[in-house]
Amino acid sequence: MQEFITIEIPDLLLLMPELIVLFTGFLIFTLDLAFRRVSHIVGISLSSAGYIASIMALLLIYGKRGETLYGLYVRDGLSTTFQLLLVFLTLALLVFFYPYFKKRLSLYPEFYYILNFSLVGAMFLVSSYNLIVLYVALEAVSIGFYILTALLRGDFQSKEGALKYLILGGLSIALASYGAGFMYLHSGSLDLRNVFLYGQSDALILGLVFLMVGFAIKLGAVPFHFWLPDAYQGAPTPITAFMASVGKVAFFVPILRMMPLIQGEILREWTLAIATVSAITMIYANLVALNQTDIKRLLAYSSIANTGYVLAGISTASKTGLKAAGFFLIAYAITSFVSFIVVALLERFNDFKTEIEAFLGLRNISPAYASVLAISIISLLGVPPTVGFVAKALIFLSLAESKLWLLATVMIVATGISAGYYLKLLSKMFMFEPKSSMNVKPSAFERLTLSIFGLLLVLLGILPIFLFEPVSKSVEAILSR
Amino acid sequence: MLSSLLITCLLGALLSLAIKESLVKFWALFVSSLTLIIVFAGLFWFDFSRAESFQFVESYAVIKELGVSLHLGVDGFSYVMLILTALTSFASILWSFSDYQVSKRQKEYYFWLLLTELGLIGVFSSLDLIVFYVFYELTLIPMFFVIGIWGYSKRVYSATKFFIYIFVSSLFLLLGITALASYHAFQRGYYSFSYLELMNLRLEPGFELFVFLLFLIAFAVKTPLVPFHTWLPDAHGDAPTAGSVLLAAVLLKMGTYALLRFNIMLFPQVSTALVPVMVLWGILSIVFSAWFTLSQTNVKRFVAYSSISHMGFVISAMFMLNSVGIKASITEMFAHGLTSAGFFMMAGLIYSRLNTFDLSTSKGSLIKMPAFAILVGMIAFSSMGLPGGSSFWGKFLTILAARQYSTNLAILVLLAAFFSAIYVLYLVKNLYLDSKREDNLKDVSGSTLYSMIIMSAPAIMVGLLPFLLFLFYDSYSEYVISYLLKLSGVR
Repeated sequence: MQEFITIEIPDLLLLMPELIVLFTGFLIFTLDLAFRRVSHIVGISLSSAGYIASIMALLLIYGKRGETLYGLYVRDGLSTTFQLLLVFLTLALLVFFYPYFKKRLSLYPEFYYILNFSLVGAMFLVSSYNLIVLYVALEAVSIGFYILTALLRGDFQSKEGALKYLILGGLSIALASYGAGFMYLHSGSLDLRNVFLYGQSDALILGLVFLMVGFAIKLGAVPFHFWLPDAYQGAPTPITAFMASVGKVAFFVPILRMMPLIQGEILREWTLAIATVSAITMIYANLVALNQTDIKRLLAYSSIANTGYVLAGISTASKTGLKAAGFFLIAYAITSFVSFIVVALLERFNDFKTEIEAFLGLRNISPAYASVLAISIISLLGVPPTVGFVAKALIFLSLAESKLWLLATVMIVATGISAGYYLKLLSKMFMFEPKSSMNVKPSAFERLTLSIFGLLLVLLGILPIFLFEPVSKSVEAILSR
Repeated sequence: MLSSLLITCLLGALLSLAIKESLVKFWALFVSSLTLIIVFAGLFWFDFSRAESFQFVESYAVIKELGVSLHLGVDGFSYVMLILTALTSFASILWSFSDYQVSKRQKEYYFWLLLTELGLIGVFSSLDLIVFYVFYELTLIPMFFVIGIWGYSKRVYSATKFFIYIFVSSLFLLLGITALASYHAFQRGYYSFSYLELMNLRLEPGFELFVFLLFLIAFAVKTPLVPFHTWLPDAHGDAPTAGSVLLAAVLLKMGTYALLRFNIMLFPQVSTALVPVMVLWGILSIVFSAWFTLSQTNVKRFVAYSSISHMGFVISAMFMLNSVGIKASITEMFAHGLTSAGFFMMAGLIYSRLNTFDLSTSKGSLIKMPAFAILVGMIAFSSMGLPGGSSFWGKFLTILAARQYSTNLAILVLLAAFFSAIYVLYLVKNLYLDSKREDNLKDVSGSTLYSMIIMSAPAIMVGLLPFLLFLFYDSYSEYVISYLLKLSGVR
């Protein structure tokens, strides 16, 4: 909204975390080109150094607010909080990915810099109001995901998943940009903060619908979810963990950011549309998940169902609802990350298939894996004392506050259905004797990291204030604008 | 005192994972006896002259913005439940010493049992609804594992059924709790989950009915009342003995406890309006489940069905909404806790001797075990409601309470009591009489004997000296009624 063009010196301090990650990515890229194949030790240590530096930068500027790059980039509580989560999860991924790919004989150093570029995209996605920036960031994340999904080069499923993801992902980005075009048509501005200032028009409605469909495909909301189970199943499991946690958070935050801006008449229809999608998603995904025999597909459908729960929180369009959705998003990201990572670790062992039957008597084979997976399943189910419970309770609170009884009932039914497959998994792990005798020994470092995550899920369930406080503050920040 | 109880159980449970497999049972017994001692020691500081108000109150904020706090406190009513919890947990852990069924994976087993005790103590002492809900659900996972890992024939099926029933129904409770809290936010401008603050809320009638029903769904399944009872015979029938004991003696009481504490106190108008419905529902529950009981051939399922019948008494007495009725229902809760625990131990012992729960195979088996027969007799007769047994006071007071409404209702309750006597007599007849048994059975002894005594001796003691129990909730039941009178001008 500048009256005349001024030259703005970008405030690089605000951008520091992204720049560090981006620089790390380019560094590894250059080293890889220069030395043909960069060694994994270099890749891992450079990446983790970069992520740690980025986390430190984030902590340094925690609480700082501002805009830079002519308002294209916004740094506020929301972006800082979610970026911390994104970088933290990516850092944790580094611990687990190497043994997996080594076992599958598919080690490529591309992994490191593509991961970095994806992460940068995700970080921009959570901190902009500008439709063009969102578009570019969306592409940056997605292209990274397509490549990472296909990273098991000898594997058919991996390629199939990547191709499906590529086609539907391309469609989604096309739709989202088409929607952005309509929004520009309506308001003459690409900044979401200005788009909604000028009342209501057909162009705005079309724009919103297209944008929503585009994001719904990315999030895997029913009926736009078809790529998701295939991609999640086909992708190397650590990448699945990455997509289900970092990807989901990154794609959701723009919607979260947009919600307080939508005002007036259009709000009712908008929330109704989201509520409908949410209800269909919850019921459908949970029903289909009941029939899955592959653990990764099962968790993929559970991921779709969880999208439904977050959408339910968003559909209230209230302060509590957005806080609940934000909290749920973080809780889900950590929980699903843990569950996929445990599967990834188990896949290293020769006899292990990703079928549910392989979990028979897991407790006898490896108590450590079984108990961490059990905690994450209990959290996904939403039973105290885990963080998943707090998240679900917050969603219920927001639904009750907005008097959306019908949606709440649908959510209860959906959660009830989900108990069917989660309990099946739990009982398979703990209540049966193992069929085969796998020799499973997690390394000490893995055990340490896993138990930290397991403890995190429980501790955040008992002391949710440590997560609720930042989320609450950051949602207040986008509301008060 | 209350937080120290919770911490004892929590630390006890966590440490039991770190102790040697062969020693863990002693550790568990030590922890549960510690809680028992704390509970009884607390009596010295408990002010009986104001037993209707909350004592030992502690409060720690959990999420200030949403008004959630770990708010603990007990009155006479919850103290009785605490005593029952501590007693039953101790007895069931002691029982597990010589139970072959639970001899594998001992660490986990005692971990789950102590975690259940933690949940139960939390349920009976939390004054914050969301914290109550957390503890309420906390008993779910341990029981799921206890039934599913150490249970009998259809253990996994029963465990899953148990979990799904309770979990789904309690989600309605969660919705109800959040609805109340947001109603509080509308009226007062800030969220609160505190029981004491929510009591001051004046709800619109329609909304009050709605939330009452949401609460009722959860507690009617938990208690259970008849059309919602189908999880119970499976869960109780397939759980290991200690699990059944805990389930029947205390977990069911969570439902009735919450109905009295929350449904009646938070929704006084609806409760008053629904008196006939709830009382009749309770009586129907008694009659139907007594009828179902008689057709059972499995001792454990037999006892399980009889539990449902007793719960019917508790509900109908409670919803008569006079002070005698409330007293009757609490007495019956306590009495049923003791006797059903005794009955399940009996079933467990019969299984360990005969390797079957079949009623016809175990015919006359008690004759061969005289000491056991005496203990079972004590439990059976106090469960039936003979004077001198604990259940007598529950049933007698229920009839008195019904008499305050009408003689017809009193006769109905009397008939229902008669029904419930039939099945106990039937069980006694089968186990004691018509025996042509040749086999020699080893009599009850050791830890089994002691744990049975722990459950049956108080049953008789309460029967003979009921005022010891009434001391706790005499003033509470008066207080409930005067509270309701003040609010809605009920009779």
